[in-house]
Formats: sequence, C-alpha cells, structure tokens
Amino acid sequence: MLFFENTIVTVISLSTPLIIAVIGETISEKSGVINLSAEGTIMISALCGFAFGYLTDFALVGFIAGALSGAFIAAFISYCDIKLRMDQIAVGFVLTILCIDLSNYIGQEYVRINGPIVTKFSLPLISKIPFLGKILFNHSLITYFSILLIPSAWFFLNKTNLGLAIRASGENPIAARSRGINVKKMRLIGTVIGGALLGLAGATFSLYTKYGWSESHTANYGWIILAIVIFGGWNPYRAAAGAYGFGLLQVLAIKAQSVTLALSQILPLLPFPIMIFILVFIQYINRRDRRNFPKFILSILGGNQPEALGRKLPEDVN
Amino acid sequence: MKNNFEILQINLLRLFLTLSIIFLVLTLFGTSPLKVFDSIIYGSLGSYSKFIRTLIVWAPISMASIALIYTFSAGMWNIGIEGQIIMGAVGATLIARSFLGDTFISPYVQIIFAIGFGGIWGLICGLLKVKGNVHEIFSGLGLDFVASGIVIYLIIGPWKRDGIASTSGTDIFDKASWIPTIGQNEFPLFLIIIILILYVFSFVVLKYTSFGLRLKATGVNELATQRFYFSSSTFILLSFFIAGSIAGLAGFSQASGAYHKLVPSISGGFGFLSILIVLICSRNIYFTFIVSFLFSALIVGGSQLQIKLGLDHSLIGIIQATFVLSWLIFEKLKLEESLIKKLFRSNQ
Repeated sequence: MLFFENTIVTVISLSTPLIIAVIGETISEKSGVINLSAEGTIMISALCGFAFGYLTDFALVGFIAGALSGAFIAAFISYCDIKLRMDQIAVGFVLTILCIDLSNYIGQEYVRINGPIVTKFSLPLISKIPFLGKILFNHSLITYFSILLIPSAWFFLNKTNLGLAIRASGENPIAARSRGINVKKMRLIGTVIGGALLGLAGATFSLYTKYGWSESHTANYGWIILAIVIFGGWNPYRAAAGAYGFGLLQVLAIKAQSVTLALSQILPLLPFPIMIFILVFIQYINRRDRRNFPKFILSILGGNQPEALGRKLPEDVN
Repeated sequence: MKNNFEILQINLLRLFLTLSIIFLVLTLFGTSPLKVFDSIIYGSLGSYSKFIRTLIVWAPISMASIALIYTFSAGMWNIGIEGQIIMGAVGATLIARSFLGDTFISPYVQIIFAIGFGGIWGLICGLLKVKGNVHEIFSGLGLDFVASGIVIYLIIGPWKRDGIASTSGTDIFDKASWIPTIGQNEFPLFLIIIILILYVFSFVVLKYTSFGLRLKATGVNELATQRFYFSSSTFILLSFFIAGSIAGLAGFSQASGAYHKLVPSISGGFGFLSILIVLICSRNIYFTFIVSFLFSALIVGGSQLQIKLGLDHSLIGIIQATFVLSWLIFEKLKLEESLIKKLFRSNQ
C-alpha cells in the first residue's frame, strides 16, 4: 500500500508541468491556433524561470518570468498570424528551433547550479486524512495550482462568455464575427493565455519537477504535450488524464530501467502512436453518424477538433 | 508581373536587411560578428578536408530539402521528414549488416532499401492525410518519434554491439558498405552525383511536366483539381512517397556516408533544418541548392567556434533560425519594394 501511495504521489508531482502545459495548449488550439512552438517555449521559459529564480533567489519571480516569456512568444505568433497573415505553423516551427538554440546558448552560465527550491506545502488538517490526504494534499503550491487549473479551464471554456467566444472563433470565425465577436482579439487572448501557461509549465520543470538547468533540459516534452492535447480530444479533463497517464509512464520507465534498458527508452515514446490512432478515430467518427457509436467509446476516443484549427483567418474577418 | 531584375533587387535588399539583423543579434550577444563569420568560413571552407566535411553534411541536407519541395508543392507540411530520414538509415543499415554487407554491391542495394523504407514511411503520413483526414503535422510528428523509437530499440536490442547494450550505436559497417569515395581525402563523388541527378530530375519534373503542374495545382487550389478531373489525393500520396524516398536517401547518406553506423540521433536534426531552408527558398530549386550548401557550411564551420572563439555551437542554430524568421517577416512586410520605389523616385 505504501508503494502504491508513493507511486501516486510521484505521478501527481511529476505531471504538474505537463498538466499546466496541456491545458495551455488546449486553450490555444480551441482558439484556432496550433502553438507549434511548445517545445521551444517550454525550454526557453524553463531557462527564464530558473535564471530569474536564481538571480532573485525567489521562486515566485521565476514562475512569473516563465509565464511572461511564454506569453511573449505566443503574442509574437499571434501578431504574425493575425497582422502579417503568415502561416502560424511556419512561425511556430521556426520559433521552436530558435528558442531551443537560444536557451542552450544563454543557459550555459546556469548549467548545474542551485537556485531556489519549491518546498512542499501540506494543507493543514485535510492532509491528515489517511491515504487521500497523503496523495492529494501533501504537495507544493504549484501542484495544487495545476490540479485546480483542470476544472477552472473546463469552466472557462464552457461556461464563461469569454471562453465561449474563444471557442467560437476557433470553430467558425465567420459565424463568430456575424454574432459580433471580435475574432482577432479572441484568437490573441486564447493564444496568449495558452502561451503563458506553457511558459509557467517550463518554469515548473526547472524549478520543481526537473530541478535546475542543463543543455536541452526539457527536450521532447513540448512535442509530447502536442500529442497529449490530441489524446485529450481538446477537453481539459481528458487532457489532464492523458498527462497523468504520461506521468505514470515516466515512473514506469524509471522503474523498468533496472529490468531492461530498451523498455525504459521506448515507453516515453508511447504517446505518439496513441496520438495518431486517436486522430484517425476522431476523423472516422466525424465522417459517420455519432449515434452509431457507444457513448463510452466516444467519451474515451472521440473529440471535437476545432474546425478552423491551424487555418488562417478569412480575409474579411476583422 | 515583376521581371527577374526586380525580383533579384528585392531579394538582395532582403538579404542585406536579414544579415543586418543577424549582425545586430550577434553584437547583442557580445560577440564580434566579423570574427564569428570569419571563423565559420575558415572552419567550413578553409581547407580541402574541411570542404569535404561540408560536402558530407550538405549531402543529406540538400536531399531532404529537395524532398520537401515536393510536399510543399502539394501544400503539405512534411514534418515527418525526420522520421523518413531515420527509416532510410534503418533500411541502409539492414543491408550493411546483412550477408551483402561485405560485397561491393552493398551501397547500391542500400540505396534501394533506403528509398523503400523512407518512401513507405512517407506514404503512411500521406495515407493518414488522404484516407484518415489526419492533419499531416500531427501524424508526421508522431511518426518521427515512432521512427526514433524503432531505432533506439534496434540499437539496444537486435543490433546491439557485442556484449554492450548502450545507446552509442551499432558496430561500424564493413568498409565495403561505406559510400564509395575518391582519393585520399575521400571526396564523396558518389553522393555528389546522386545530388546532381536529384536536382536536375526534380527541376525538370516540377517545371516541365504535367505531373509537376498538377502537383502545384493540388497545393494551390483544390477546386482546380476537380475541374480538371484529377484526384488531388493521388498527388498528395505521390508527393509524400517521393519526399519520403528522397529523405530515405538522406538517411542512407547519414548512415553509410557520415557515421558508418546507426546511431540514435542519425537524422542529426537535418530534416527540421531542411524545413527552415525550404521555407525561405519558397520552392525555388536554385535557391534551395545554394542555401542548403550555405547552411551546411554554417554547421561545419560552427564546430570551430568553440575552439577558436570559445562560443557554443548553438550560436549557429540561432543564426540560422534568426535568418529564416526575419526573412519570412520581411517577405510579408514587403519593406523592400517600397524602399526600392522610394530610391527610384529620388533618382528621377
């Protein structure tokens, strides 16, 4: 039982940055923008977060710096997408490469040094509850934030006017405009919120789950996040489940290291074939009648891909 | 319509603006741009052996770039190119490790297998797009990682070195399986001939055949494909297959020409780099030929930066990405055209 408890605790804290990033990318894609720079954004904000945390010796400053750098990159993509009408995928891709090399170059001074540490913060009273208290209420503040973020993101996207406007802009820009929604602004807001969360996730890596900085510190996490967002079918709850699933995979991979080297290297790549399978299934359902499929399959494998995802806004939308 | 002279003017001005930005960035990093470029040029073209090293890097990059021209022509984002390079390398390694490995025909059979493996990997991406309606970015990205998973499995598992299971790579191939070279300095004539054939062939196919025209029509206007009664799906599939095959050749060049073994990072990130190259060359074959060479020279010269100036080689990536990003932005801002107009008006 103790082993079981410990595994759950490790999975929850390992998944913290993944949850934040996955929710961020989901919001961004709901507004119609694939933030393909996720890999680069996470890496450079991991560096920014760690560097500012180190320089001020205050982790909170690091988290803010990470979030700001992520928001800045997202705003740049948005500017290129909306104002310059460039291909958002091209810009995101180039920014990925640029940010990876930029963080490796600037980050040389910060390799393997110690900065501020995020400590555990046990919630009073409820952390004493047997089992549940230990696995849920005995984490750092950023982990509580990530857990609270999941229902908040769902609420934001489904129940608030702003969230619905963002989704409408991602589904059908022309229809959204005719309902009086400022589509460009909504795309900007969605992308920037998403980018800020990606940045926060980066800072969480370097200040908490993967403490410190080294060359290509967060390599491949950004690509994995893109896969998990699809696994989640653009739904915050399922995306979070995917992120926890990946956290579990990571723990298993570490445990498998002592048994076989091959398994531990290959397990973390599992999200990618799953992503392809889910995408095929989503499109398969979309071309047929949804009612023919059992509900539980739809809820596990279905998904609402935003209609205008990755496309440029039509010329006449303003 | 702009004539060639105007296009040249605009491009030269854009090149000047882009280079100024790079100089600015390098200065901001506290380095001397002139020294950096001096050591890059010396490191990549300073001697015959350095030039040959540049050619060895240029071979896969130029192949991957021409591969991407096919998919970009069909309006597709072939992010799966890394995986296609990796699978090409796997195909080549399969032959190099087989009973054919120590015979003189090995490199030629390797080519066939590299083309086949890469082509099939590209075709999967195309099929997912055409039959499954899956966005090619996601399927390509997924297939990249699946391919790298396969390579890691092969290196640690069935193809591991005797006694050691590590991620450092397979055994070195038998010499007969290496790509043939000429002279003491190992001039890669064989590779250069392949590249030249690829470029001339692609130039003719894309420019002078109805296949090329239809491929471009697929990318530009889906309605046109319907009106002229041909299936855009077929052309998308073909573009992915051709791109995958050529990328497979790049993998063959990496495995049997550069490393002489299979390593986990066999693609060297050259697939992604080629995407950057083709983005700024906007499918122009001459430009692709030249820019891919310049970018390869940057990579080879960049390895000297650490020794000569104590600068990390990631600076090269920054230069390349900054170049591409500012080029793309200038292209959209169209600053150059208005600048040229102003200059001409003041002359009159």
